[in-house]
Order: sequence, then structure tokens, then C-alpha cells
Amino acid sequence: MHNTKTTVGIIANPLSGRDVRRLVTKASVFQNAEKSNMVLRMLGVLGKLGVDEVFMLPDVSGVASRVIHAMRHGRAAEISAFPRVTFLEMPIRDSADDSLRAAELMVSMGVSVIIVMGGDGTHRVVANASGDTPLLTLSTGTNNVFPEIREATITGLAAGLVASGKVRLKDVASRNKVLRCEVNGSRKDMALVDLGVSTECWIGARALWEASCLTELFVSFAEPDAIGLSSIPALIHPVSRTDAYGLRLVVAPPGEGFMTVEAPIAPGVLLPVSVAEISEVRPKEVFKVETARGTLALDGEREIEFSENDSVKVWLEMDGPVTVDVNKVMLAAAKHHVLVRHHRN
Amino acid sequence: MAELKKEDLLKAYRTMREIRDFEERVHKEFATGKIPGFVHLYAGEEAVATGVCSHLTDDDRITSTHRGHGHCIAKGVDIIGMMAEIFGKKTGSCCGKGGSMHIADLEKGMLGANGIVGAGGPLGCGAALAAKFKGKGGVAVVFFGDGASNQGTILESMNLANIWNLPVIFLAENNGYAESTGVKYNVPTPNIADRAAGFNMPGVTVDGNDFFAVYEAAGEAIKRAREGGGPTLLECKTNRFYGHFEGDAMTYKAPGEVKRQREECDCLKIFAAKATAAGLVTAAELEAIDKEVAALIDEAVEKALAAPNPTEADLLTDVYVSY
Amino acid sequence: MSRKISFKDAINEALSQEMERDGSVIVMGLDNAGGRGTEGQLDAWGGVLGVTKGLYGKYGDRVIDTPISESSYIGAAVGAAACGMRPVVEMMFSDFFGVCFDQMMNQAAKFRYMFGGKAVTPVTMRTCYGGGFRAAAQHSQVLYSVFAHIPGLKVVVPSTPYDAKGLLTQCIRDNDPVIFMEHKVLYAMKGEVPEESYTIPFGKANVVREGKDATIVAIGWMVHKALQAAQSLSKAGVECEVIDPRTVSPLDFDTIIKSVEKTGRLVIVDESNPRCSMASDISSVVAQNAFKALKGPIQMVTAPHTPSPFSGALEDLYLPSPAKIEAAVKATM
Repeated sequence: MHNTKTTVGIIANPLSGRDVRRLVTKASVFQNAEKSNMVLRMLGVLGKLGVDEVFMLPDVSGVASRVIHAMRHGRAAEISAFPRVTFLEMPIRDSADDSLRAAELMVSMGVSVIIVMGGDGTHRVVANASGDTPLLTLSTGTNNVFPEIREATITGLAAGLVASGKVRLKDVASRNKVLRCEVNGSRKDMALVDLGVSTECWIGARALWEASCLTELFVSFAEPDAIGLSSIPALIHPVSRTDAYGLRLVVAPPGEGFMTVEAPIAPGVLLPVSVAEISEVRPKEVFKVETARGTLALDGEREIEFSENDSVKVWLEMDGPVTVDVNKVMLAAAKHHVLVRHHRN
Repeated sequence: MAELKKEDLLKAYRTMREIRDFEERVHKEFATGKIPGFVHLYAGEEAVATGVCSHLTDDDRITSTHRGHGHCIAKGVDIIGMMAEIFGKKTGSCCGKGGSMHIADLEKGMLGANGIVGAGGPLGCGAALAAKFKGKGGVAVVFFGDGASNQGTILESMNLANIWNLPVIFLAENNGYAESTGVKYNVPTPNIADRAAGFNMPGVTVDGNDFFAVYEAAGEAIKRAREGGGPTLLECKTNRFYGHFEGDAMTYKAPGEVKRQREECDCLKIFAAKATAAGLVTAAELEAIDKEVAALIDEAVEKALAAPNPTEADLLTDVYVSY
Repeated sequence: MSRKISFKDAINEALSQEMERDGSVIVMGLDNAGGRGTEGQLDAWGGVLGVTKGLYGKYGDRVIDTPISESSYIGAAVGAAACGMRPVVEMMFSDFFGVCFDQMMNQAAKFRYMFGGKAVTPVTMRTCYGGGFRAAAQHSQVLYSVFAHIPGLKVVVPSTPYDAKGLLTQCIRDNDPVIFMEHKVLYAMKGEVPEESYTIPFGKANVVREGKDATIVAIGWMVHKALQAAQSLSKAGVECEVIDPRTVSPLDFDTIIKSVEKTGRLVIVDESNPRCSMASDISSVVAQNAFKALKGPIQMVTAPHTPSPFSGALEDLYLPSPAKIEAAVKATM
């Protein structure tokens, strides 16, 4: 199906930002009311830029219901600028699967771009289904690396500029790297930023916040100003999102190895991590996980349990999701006076 | 996560199995008409009570709900006495004066199942206040449901616990239904944990069907409380396999919903699969526990049926210590 | 025994002495110290009427200020009591029990029975009550009859500084939940109170005045009004026996019945509303147990079946008075 209308998808995951990091670290609690406000701010600008229709995830109790309420009861002048908002017809399970299914549907409907609101986890889930459809990433919280922390109005503006063709997509979008893993040749999954190997046996409360359990770490990029596991190699050897390689780091017991780095592995947490090895990882170079038993943490969340009997492989690929660089969009808009109207004389 | 040794895993499995078999059996016995009154079953939610209470000692207190059998068993209340109580017998935990909704064992730190929705919040704060005065690191856990999350008592208690920095954990068991009304109708936020922000405390949501998720998050919350870090709101999303009460036809549930939950979200199945896959326990060991628990529940029912009723003399005692 | 102190100071002294004696006694309530969370002075109020003033200085954090959140803090007192503490929790006005009645009626009162005799809940709930202050319908009602209706609760209604100290000390040492009702008019009343600690047992009425012609049972503030009426009647040659039950649950029926058997006449003075009141309760018990001794109809002097009015002109009409009591005694003749 191909749209003649200009359409945009918005995935705002009402479940994000409630994991155990609120308890064990000083991670922020991001109110769902603010998520729906962000959506409303974006709807206002998307409509003005000529987007005809926005597709959203139909969570009954959270973000969507606030949006519906605002559209029914809000100020007429504000609402008249909104594009048509359609909630996807899909069953809701109140899990990460909702975001995945929504992304699949939006791609099949041919939306121009998908705006993703959530943390690294939500973006990882969406990236599994987004294919060639560009994503605009928006962090709901302070605990994330992949999505941007930015005022939603600007993200909405950038989405509208790209979706309506006022800024050319090819000038502002790029494909990301991705870390892929598989267990025994099946059970495939991926991480956008980091893939950690933990000796903890169980997925449990998911987040990985204790460096003492970390044995190996793969990163697709490593920015020194990032929070989380990728900060460990980043503070030794930064790698950008566009470099054609990633890093692999082997953790040593405390005080051993050849160096110790003080890394902000979680909000409010600066911990020493001793390093046994650090090396660059080339695309498609396959690594067998050396840890006998434990869990794989994808973008900071334990997702896969494995034992001695399992063979776990990890490698880097260049075929990750396409993302739109909002800075570049706005620079292009400025350069070409897209949002400027010249007055005569 | 505190490392779970083999014996810890077997103990947790035994507790979950005890709760499940207890509830399945009460369901059957209720249908025969031998059990009087109102009964609310905990089947499906076992991982929550077990994951939390695995961290508690008899000096730690819990407050419970009308759906309290699971909390009782997880807190170590004697199963023989519980079954007799549910049958209204003199040998019951409460001499047949409390019944399903009021089973308590204060020596085990179980401050009672409670027929009043949300009443456990203030009581748990009191238990935590007492623990704070005692100064030995004791904590209190307030179990409450998604329905009770709207009670003023629960919200007031969250406020009180935070201003007094009490060692209390608000444990929201979100099974999706307040009686027959869906949580999406009754609660304006996607998660009950979202409400924590208003009280400036951590709010965490975990998969309540995964013992390991509950165990880990509860362990962190309890550790924090013991160390003087204050309260936490921990929400466990779970399912109840039976109706609100026995006799509820559950017409409000979608066709196949319970069947799907029993197939995909059964905390006992999930636990067994994970623990055996990790190679820490064997299927044979779990089966052996199944048999022992089945025998225990049989014994509990036999003893309950054979036990005497309370007598007229019991009617007037235990109102006051002295009067 | 010559020292005279006020009803309010007698309560304060009982609290202080019990806190000194027993480390598990804690005091909780709105502004019980006062001034917490402000830049001004601590122990600013000592409770809204100053009853707990000075305890903070002596016992520090065992005097706990609470938010205006009665369900949570009354319930917390109940929970703490079930876990080894002896909390004395204050409810500013007894009318406010309406917001936390569950914790009293379904929790504290029922634990012991529901749990087969295994629970001990030694909580004292202090509250001020009653009319005379033009405090209107939500700050004046007399609710001890409601509390006395509930099995598992004890209800104490002192009328003098001496009784207030001795009964409150007993409340704190008692192992059951007790509601201790302080009439706001009585706070300033002075009376002889021993300095040392003492207790007055529950369920033992005080025969305040002996007489042979009529029995007047009066509760709380009404004891003093009954005495005024008795004095006036004495001038007319009618000698009334005035009985102060001191606790309405348990209630000392024996003393009342014995007195009625002697006098043959009964007037009950109860500041609460008349239906299902202590007055109607005592009437029914006497009618069942001493019917043959009665020489005339039992009379009840109560407030009418209306909320407490605000206007002084109305409240004076609403409250039992010595004149109404005198008239009631005459009606039994």
C-alpha cells in the first residue's frame, strides 16, 4: 500500500521508564502526562507543516487516552491545526510487543517517518521492524543513549519537514550500526548501542546496573558524554555512530587487567571498571561469548538467558535502522529559508 | 541479584506449588459446598508473594488483602491450620472465627488477610513505624491490588511513609481487574507505579509472572528499606486465573483469556522452564516437590474435614484481652 | 492530696509519666509537637488545644506529628500497636473519626476476634468531643454511643481531672484498643490530682453523690450538670444519687441497677443524640433487669435528634441543662 497522503507514525510507549533503575539508581521518572503533552505539541506542528494523518499506538489507559481527551475537549483553535489522528487497529498486550507490532503496521502503511518516544529499549524494539522507514528518536528520560533528549516540538517540526518533502530525506538521514546476537543459531536479537554479557543467571528485573556481574561488552558506538555501559569503552576509545567499526571490551576482576576506568554506568553511579582487553570490532566479525552461563543485556537490559550448553555469538552489522538527524534537518531548513516568509519591501 | 542457590530455588518452587495446589483444591472443595462464606483465590499470582516473601524473616511484617492465601503461605503460615480455618473449624489458624478473608499469624509477621480493600496501607505503615523504633532493620510490605490503588488509605499511606521515611514496600499486585472492572477504566495511568512520582519515591513495574523479576526488584526495595532508604512502590503485573470470588463466572474476561494466561503466563511453568534450562534444578526434583505438596494438601483437607467445629463457648471469647 | 491541676494538665501528666515509664509508648497526632517543617519554633502547639505541650521537649521523636490524613495515621497507630508499640494517637475532634472509622471499627476492634485471640492491639485513641463551644455540627458531636456499640473497643469518658489521669494511665497500660473521650469544656476545669502515677479500673462507676429518691446516671460533662440539678432538688427535699459510669464500654451495670433498686427512679443524662444512645442503652438494661424496682418511667435527658447547631441561642437549647434534668427527675415521681 502506498499513501498519496503525507503520513507520520508516533510510537509513545506508556510502559517505558518504570524499570528497576528508578529504585537502584537515580534514574528519572518520566510522567506519562508529559508523554501525551509531547505528542500534542508535535501534533500541532505536524499539522501546520502539511502532514495529513498521524498513526498512533492505541494504548487505552495511557498516552493515547490523554491525546483523545485533548482532541475532544481542547481549545478549538489548537485542535483545528492537528492532522487527522488514527489509532492503529491492533490488540494491546501492554508489553514491548505493542511497540513492535505498531512499527510493523506503520511500515506496511507507508508512513514517511516514525517518531519514537521512549528509552533505548523502546527504540531497540522499533528498530527490529522499521526497515528503511526513517526514525526520529526522542528520549523520555535521562537514562538513554540512542534517542535524543530534545524538546518534542522541534522533533515534530523536523519530522514534518522531512515527511512533507520540504527538507530532502537523503541529506539528513543515515543508517545506524547494530549489534546482532544469536543463541545456538536461532533466538536472534539485536542491540543498538551496547551488548553486555552478565554472569547473572536471570533476566530478573532486566536492567544491568552492577558492574561486578559484567564480563564482556560490545558497543556499536561509544560516545564519551553518554550514560550507561557504553561509557566504559567510550572513556578509553571513543567511536562515533558513523565509524565503520565498534568495540569489544573484556572486563577484568577489580584491580586486575591493564587499566581501570571510572565510568557512569547508570544515572548517579560512577564505578571503577577494570579492563582486561579492548579492541575494535569490524562488521560481520563473529565473536563467541566466552562467559559460560549468564544473560545477554541488550542496550542495558538483560534479555536473553543462556547456560553452558548454549553457543552465543555476537557480531556487528551496518544495516541498522535509519534515523533522521534533527540538527541537520533544522540547519537545512534554515539554509533554504523553509520556514521563512519574505515580505515585499 | 542476591545469588539464588539450588535450595533457594527449590524452596521458592515449593512455596509457589503450595499456593497453587492450595487454591486449586479450595476451588474444588468450594464447588462441593463444604466451604462457607466468600473465598478469593490467588492462583496465577504466586510469583509475587513468593518473590517478595523470600526476602523476609518472621520479624518483618506484611499486610494482605481479601485475596490473602498466597501471602499467608509465602510468609510461612501453617497450611494445615489455614485449610481448617477456611472450612470454619476450631483447629483453624483463627479458631474458625476469621475465615478465608482474615487468616493471620502475628508470630510469622503476617498481620492478616483483610476484607477491607486498601486497609493494609496504614497498618503496614504502623508495622514499619514499630520496626523503625525497634531499630533492627525490620521492614513491612503492604500487598494491595489495582483496585485498592484508588483507595485513599493507600495514597495517604504512601504520603505518610515518605514523610516519615518508613521501611515499607508498597507492593501493587496488578492483576488487571478490580472485581469485574478493568484497570484501564479505574486507573488513569498506564502503571500503578506511575503514582510514586507524586510521593517522591521510586516507582518500578516488573513482570509479576516472572519470579526472578519480582525477587530481584523486591530484594532491592527491601534492602533499600532496611538500610534506611525509605519506601518504594513496586508494581507486579500479574493474572488471576479464577474469578474475583468463587462463583464468579468471569463474563468480563475475553474469550480464551484465562486459557491463554494459563498457557503463556503461568508463573510456575515459567519458573520451572528457566530453572531447569539454567541447569540449577532438575525436572525430577520439581516433580518430587509436586508430589509432596499434593500429599500435604490432601492431608490438610482430610484434617480440616475431620476437625471439630468451634463450640458455643468460642462465640464469646477473644473479643478483648480483658473486659 | 491538695495539689489542684486542670483536666488538660492531668492528661498531659499521665502521658508524660507513661512515656517515662515505658519506652514503647509513643504519642501521635496533628501538631502534637507542632512547628515541624517550619522556620519557627518546635513544640509550637502541643496539639491544637495544647494537651501534649512540652512532651516533645522531654521525649523528642517519640512525639510524632502527623499529616492531616486520619486514615493513615490512626491506622498506623493501630498497626504499630499490633507490632509491639503502645501508641497514644490523638484525633483532634471526635467528629473526624468519620474519615478513618474503618481503621477503628474493622481493624483495631476486630483483630483479636478475627485472629482467634492471637492479636493484642494496645492503642489509645484520644479525642476531644462535645458541645458548649459553638463549634457547630462537625466539631461538637458526641459519638461515644457509636463507639460503645462496637465489640472490641473500650470507651472511656472521664469527668474530672483525677479520673482523666487515672483512666488515661489505665488506657495506655491496657491491652485492648481504647477510645478516650475528652470533653472540650472540661479542659480548663481544675481538681485535685495526685502527683504520682495511678490507675482507675475500667467498668467501675463512680457514685458521685449518694441519695435515696432518684438515680441520675450522667456521662462526662453532664456529671457536673447533674450535680447542679441534684443540689437544687435537694433544697426541695429530693435526694438524688448521681452516678458517673466513667467508662461506657465496659459499662458498670451493677452499680446502676443496685442504685435503681434503692431509689426506684432513673434519669439518664447523655449529651449524645437520643436514638441508640447510652441513654437508651442504659434504659433498656435497667428495664430488663430492674423493672420491678421502678416506681415511675425512666427519663432520658439528651440532645435532640438533630445535628449540633451553631448559634448560641440554639446550642443552649440543644444541650441538656440542670433545669431539664430537674424536670426529668420530677417526671419520674
